[in-house]
Parts: sequence; C-alpha cells; structure tokens
Amino acid sequence: MIEYVGENLLAGQIGNFLIFLSFVASLLSVAFYYKTSELSLELNSWKKWGRFFFRLHSFAMVGLIGILFYLIYDHAFEYYYIWRHSSSDMPMNYIISSFWEGQEGSTMLWAFWNIVLGNILIFTTKKWEGGVMTIYATVQVFLSAMLLGIFPFDIQIGSNPFVLLREHADMFNLPFVTNPNYLSFVEGNGLNPLLQNYWMTIHPPTVFFGFATTLIPFAYALTALWKKNFQEWIKPALPWTFFGIGILGLGILMGGAWAYEALSFGGFWAWDPVENSSLVPWLVLVGAGHLMLINRTKMKSIFSAFALALFSFLLVVYSTYLTKSGILGETSVHSFADGLPGQLIIFLLFYLFVALFFLFKNGGQFLKKSEEDAFWSREFWMFLGALVLVISAFQITLSTSIPVINALFGTTLAPPAKPIEHYNSWQIPLTILVTLFVAISQFLKYKKTEVGPFFKKIAPSFIISFAAAIIMAVQLKIRDVFLITLLFTSLFAVLANLDYLIRIIKGNVKKGGSAIAHVGFGMVILGSLLSAGNKKIISKNRTQVNINFEDNKNANDENVMLLRNDTILMDPYYVTYTQRRVDAKNVYFDMDYLKVNEEGKYQKEFSLSPFVQLNEQMGNVPEPDTKHFIDKDIFTHITYADLENLDSTAQEIYRDSDTLNLKIGDSLFTSNSIIKLVNFERNIDKEKLNLLESDIALGVKITAKTLEGEHYEVRPIMVIRGNNIFSISSEIEALGLKFGFAGIDPDTEKLKILLAEKNKNSGDFVIMQALVFPYINVLWIGIIVMVLGSLLAAWNRIRSNKSSN
Amino acid sequence: MKKSHIIGIIVIAIAIGAIISTVADAATYADFGVAMNNPGKQFQVVGELNKEKEIIYAPESNANQFSFHMVDKNGNEQKVIFNGAKPQDFERSEQVVITGSLQGENFLADKILMKCPSKYQDGEAGELTEITAESKS
Repeated sequence: MIEYVGENLLAGQIGNFLIFLSFVASLLSVAFYYKTSELSLELNSWKKWGRFFFRLHSFAMVGLIGILFYLIYDHAFEYYYIWRHSSSDMPMNYIISSFWEGQEGSTMLWAFWNIVLGNILIFTTKKWEGGVMTIYATVQVFLSAMLLGIFPFDIQIGSNPFVLLREHADMFNLPFVTNPNYLSFVEGNGLNPLLQNYWMTIHPPTVFFGFATTLIPFAYALTALWKKNFQEWIKPALPWTFFGIGILGLGILMGGAWAYEALSFGGFWAWDPVENSSLVPWLVLVGAGHLMLINRTKMKSIFSAFALALFSFLLVVYSTYLTKSGILGETSVHSFADGLPGQLIIFLLFYLFVALFFLFKNGGQFLKKSEEDAFWSREFWMFLGALVLVISAFQITLSTSIPVINALFGTTLAPPAKPIEHYNSWQIPLTILVTLFVAISQFLKYKKTEVGPFFKKIAPSFIISFAAAIIMAVQLKIRDVFLITLLFTSLFAVLANLDYLIRIIKGNVKKGGSAIAHVGFGMVILGSLLSAGNKKIISKNRTQVNINFEDNKNANDENVMLLRNDTILMDPYYVTYTQRRVDAKNVYFDMDYLKVNEEGKYQKEFSLSPFVQLNEQMGNVPEPDTKHFIDKDIFTHITYADLENLDSTAQEIYRDSDTLNLKIGDSLFTSNSIIKLVNFERNIDKEKLNLLESDIALGVKITAKTLEGEHYEVRPIMVIRGNNIFSISSEIEALGLKFGFAGIDPDTEKLKILLAEKNKNSGDFVIMQALVFPYINVLWIGIIVMVLGSLLAAWNRIRSNKSSN
Repeated sequence: MKKSHIIGIIVIAIAIGAIISTVADAATYADFGVAMNNPGKQFQVVGELNKEKEIIYAPESNANQFSFHMVDKNGNEQKVIFNGAKPQDFERSEQVVITGSLQGENFLADKILMKCPSKYQDGEAGELTEITAESKS
C-alpha cells in the first residue's frame, strides 16, 4: 500500500456520494410525482414528497458542481478530469471553460439548467406540476446516470468525473503510479487552445440553457397527450417557448462568433455537423412556437403543434448523441471522441418511443377534427412557414446524419465533398420562403383578411425593399438569382415588420415583441447574405507564377506569400509584414495595412497581428485577427509560417553564400534590396588591411538600395597573393547581407561575387489570407434585436396569461 | 382537392428531393484503386502520409500548392496535389482523409482533414485539424 502525498481524497468521496444521492433522489422524485400526475391543484403528500426529492436532487447536483469547480480551481491533478482538462497556469475564465470541456462537465451543465428551470416550474406549473415534473425528473435520472461510472455485469453506466488519475484505465500501469510523490511533478494537460477564447466561456452555458428550455414545451405537450387535455397546455408553455427561441438563438450565434474569431475557416458558419445539430432544434422550436400560437384559441393544426413541441427536445437529445458518441468521427472538427454511445441511444430511444406512442395514440382524433384555414389568414401562412422550417430541419438533419445512416444501413457514404454548396443549395431557397412569410404574415389577420386593404398596407415596404434590393445587387455585383431574391425577401421582412411596428401598433413596444424579433431575424439573414455571400478575398496571388499546375484549372488563389518588409497590394490596401514577435506561447505576425495618400506615399491605416499559438500537446493553432469597421470587417490569418529558428541567435547567422557571376553595371534583387555593381576600386589601402606590398588587391563598389529608399555601400576586395586568390568580404549589417569578391573570369569579364544572407532575411515569410466581410455588423445587431424581441414576446405572453386568469 | 392535400404532396416531393440530393452530393469512401478506375469522380480516401517521400511545398513560387505521397488503407500509394497552403504540422499527421478526384496522373484533393497525434500519455485519439481548400471551377 502506497501512501500518496498531497491527495485530496475527501472531496472526491463527497462528490461520489452526491452523484449517488442525485441519482437516487431523481428516481424517487419520478416515483412520487408520477403518483400525482393527474391535472389537479391539490397539494397532497405525494406531490410534497415529489418536490422534496427534486429539491434534494437539485441540492446534490449543485453540490457536485461546486466540488468539481473547487477541484479545478485548486488544480487537484490527482483527479483525471482535472488533469485532463485544466492546468495550473490558467486564468479564471478558462478555469470555467475547462469545467465543461469534458463530457461529464457538460452533462452537469445541462443538468444544472434543468434544475434551475425545474425549480421555477414547481411554482408556475400549477395543475400541470405533477406531469411536467415527472418528465423533468426522468430526464434528471438519465443525466445523473451518465455520471455514475459503475460497472454492473461489466456494462459501463456513466462516466465519473471523480476518477483518480492513478486509477484511470489509461494510467494505472504507468510508472508514476508507484511514486508516492507524483503530485509534485504532475502538471495538467490544459484546455484545448481553440477553446481558450472568451466566447467559449459564455457560448456553452447559453446553448445548454437553450437546450434545457426545449424540455419545457416537451414536458407540457407530453403531459397534455398523456392526460388528454389537448389545448390548455399551450398558454403556460408559450412564454417558455419564446424564451427558449431567444436564448438558444443567442447561444448558437455566439458559437458562430467564436468560430469567426478563433477558427480560421474564414466565416461564422460552415455547416459543420456540430453547428447543424444545434441549429436544428432551434428551427423546430421556432416552428413549434408559431404553431402553438395558432392553436392556443382554436385547435386547427394541433397535431403538428404537438409534434414540433415534442421533436425540438428529441432533436436536442439526438444532437447530444451525435456530438458525444463519437459517431461523427472524421466528419467534424468539434466532436468528442470519448463517449457513452449505448447510454445515449437508450436516452434518445426512450423519449422517442414515449413521444411517438402518445402522439399517435391521440393523433387520429386531431386529424379528423382539423378544418382548413382560409387562404388569406395569418394562421395559414404561419402554418406554411412552420412547415418550411421543418423541411429545412429535415434536410440539415439528413445530410448531417450520414455517419448514422452508414452505421444503420452499412452504407459507405461520406459527407458532402462541398458541404457549404450542398447545404446552401437547399437552405437558400427555403430561407427565401421563410423571410417572405415573415414579411407578409404580420399584416394578415387571424381567420380572414380583406385582400384589398392588405395589399395597400404591404405595398410601401414591398416597393421600397424591391427597389433597394435591385440597387444593392447592382452596387455589390451580386449576380446569383437566388441571392438577389433572398436579398429582396430579407429586406422585405425587415421593412415590413418595421412598418408594422411603426404604423400599425404605433411603436407600442409591449405588443411589438414578435415584430421586433422578426426584424432581427430578417437582419440576421440579410447580414449573413451580405457578409458571407459577398465576402471578398483580397489576398489574391498576383505573382507571375502560373498556378494552373498539372492540368488543374481550379487553382486556388486565396493565399499570398509575404516576405518580411515586403509590401503587397491587397485591394484597397497595401499590406506590409513588419515583424514577428514571440510572446510566451504565441508567435505574433504584425501586418501594417497601408494606403497611398495624396502625396503618393504610404500611410499606415491600421495594424493587425494574427498569431500562431504554439501548443506542444495539440499542435500549433493559427488564430486570426480582425479589424472591425462599421460597414465591414477585415479578417487576416496565417495559413503557414516557418516556425523553426524562432530564437534570435539563429536569426543572426549567415546562410551559405551563393556565387553570382555579374558584370560591372549589373543589378540584382536580394530578399530586401536591389544591389548594383558600380565600378572597380583600385586604390586599396593595403597597410590598413594588413596586406603585403606584393599582393594585388582589387575592390568592387556595390550599392544596395532598399524599397524604402535607403542607400548602402560596400567594397568587397579580391586579393591575389602568389598563386592564391582570396576575398575580404564586406557586410551591410542593417540588411543582413555579406559580400565577397572571389575572382574574375578573364574570358567573359564576369566577377565572381559571393552573396550571403542572414537567416532572418528570407526565413521570415508568412503565407496569409485576408478577407473582407462587408456589413457583418448587420448580422450581429440582428441577433441582439431578435433575442430582445423574443424575450419581449415571452414577457408579453406571461402578462396576457395573467390578465386572462 | 383540398389545400392540405396539395401542400402534403409538395412536402413529400421536397423531402424525397432532399434524400436524393443527400445521396447524390455525398462523396464515397474508397481506396486509390477505386479512384483510379473512376477518374474525375469524387471520393474520400483515408490513409497515411508517406513520410519517406518528399513533401513538395515551395511558397516562394506558389503559396497555394503542395503535393505529397499518401498510402491508403489497402497499401496503394498515390501522389496527391492540394491547391492550398500546406497545413501547419502536416508532417506530424498520423492519419489523413482527403476528398477529391483523380485528375490525370495525380489525385487532386479539394479538402484535407488530418489527425495529429496528441502527446497525451494515454494515447487517446488526437485532436482533428480540418483544412479546407475550396477549389473554384
């Protein structure tokens, strides 16, 4: 038995006890709430016990989270999770991020938000409490089970965050395990460098909060089907649905902001499987919210309202399966490799089965009852809009699920070779429809609309946005018909809803939640279209080198090589790579963006410093730098840099010299200047150079002129002593050039010049990419407007629910 | 015919269209042998970089092209050309997944996905780095 020094085993023991407690308490909460699931306000003892155990579960889970945080903060590397995801040199915000980098931590984060929402629902659900909380507690049972880390009958249930480093399956036979003092030298792995970004501190909790809110409409809808009360659930569930739309939408686009800032794919959205699987539940949730709105007073399309309210949460679980099971494997940058696929499949299938069972058990009666909406009614177009969202979600899910399709059917399909083109070819036309419906539906009335007044009201925004779209398309040289149409419909969506806000409801912000959210949505689409659809790569290869290489006409000209102090035109800027700075883990490459002023001279506009993070464990990670303007962003990142010879002594060493055969009067480019052989110098002061009187010495005057206009002069000397020739070389320190004069060819009269350059001269180049994203601020402002609008709509629903009670 | 029926038919048609397009746009996993017999067709090939052979990248003359030799899972070797900058740490890659097609003698990659070894002692699968070159046709 080894006595290990410095281990804090007590914290882990308490943690394990709390995991067990949270699991058992959630099970008991299910049992007691189940007994009281009938729709009733009566506060019987079953319900009281159900509440008690849900709170006990909450207490245990929060305690558990507290302990894990404490251990990360305390750098308790005796625990595998802490060792794996953190290190002792991390600032506070990364300590927070490393909490949910691993799958146990992110499960706890999800459970945490369910607890927050569940404890609010205990007070607000009234007669729905029994049913809704039964469902809530079952989800907590599944989530707690994912933390158990027990092995009954050799089946792993859950993955425990408090496993000790020395007892972890990958570690227990390594030599350090037998060293009682191992904690004195063990250092944590640290956080994935890509996640070391402030967006990664706020994006995951926001997305998980959004994910957690989808459980509310799910729980209400399922209880309604279960207890056969098919309409009343909508009113209490609606505000939460709008709230969820706002929060999840915010979370998804925060992820986009992170990708834009920290990843180098040059954009905020790349149809990556992980991005897709967070977008799909949002699309379905938006559809659900709108269908619930139609059906809150009259059951018309109640079947679809139920289906979407149920599927939003199911798709969240599916998304968790995709990202955590490792099935995405080679298809995604962000998928986690370590997973519990079996448990996640059971989690998903359980809820899928329950939801479908209740949906189809009651489905028949809804479909019989349904009656047609009038063509000119708001509900008809809202229904169509929801349908388009479902189609959009279906298409994204289908293409994202290719690895799942392969696993199910044994096919060998690979994800689309050109994902952006593939998804856009579907999603752009669908978005055209959605934005069009968003534009017109506010002006339509429920039930029936007079056609004449409707056209009169919608005409101004239609005409203005049509004209504006044409002008913008010409100005921005957009040629694609679909993009021009989308430009029009998204402008129309923004203007029509603004018009509605101002003229119809006269700026009454309280009632304007939906109009504001729709303005924001239109702006998000407009901003995406203008920035991504119209992004310009300004780092075009302008060299004379033919890049149509080996029969390939698809030459890629997005990257440019930039030598240090070289200035290259990147329209409308000239870019100079001025220096390389090494700062701890990062190598910064400073780029000056210049413009030519009226006097014809370069004038610095701004500087950007994209960098490469040197990371021993995960490889080197390039991170971009972006200059933000009101109407555009200039985005720069390093695609390749020579990261050898980083220290300054290596930089000052001369490389082997090249032998050049030149005549007097010839010029030549070096890496940083133009040199010219001017004339011979015959008057050499031999004494000063310690030469013999009998030596023959001949100098050559060489001038060097830099691009900045600086002049230098050197005189290398050739010496003939007897039968030997040697050279006295001469150096231009500032340029890192060294010249020798090694002889003259008597036939051609060419001089043999030896030229050596320092490592720093040409070793220092970068390959970079510069992009302009026009009007990307429309997108970011749109998100804020959309989120505020959704929250306002949620708040307004709460108020109207209260006043109708 | 009721409106709902028309809408239903349209939705089903679109859904079928989406399924067909997913299958049509999907690349296929294959080895170089299969790619060799179907020049011009898009494939996804999984394999390893042949570290013995030269990786050619001369940014001074063309920053947007490099070539390397790759061995697929069945041992076929093929020269691959990628029109884009060389990914950082490419030499360290353990596994390479390329998407592209055979053009003439060489495999022209549109996209490279590589797996670098992590220095975790537990030998777990490394982080993935995705490098994409979008070819313009």
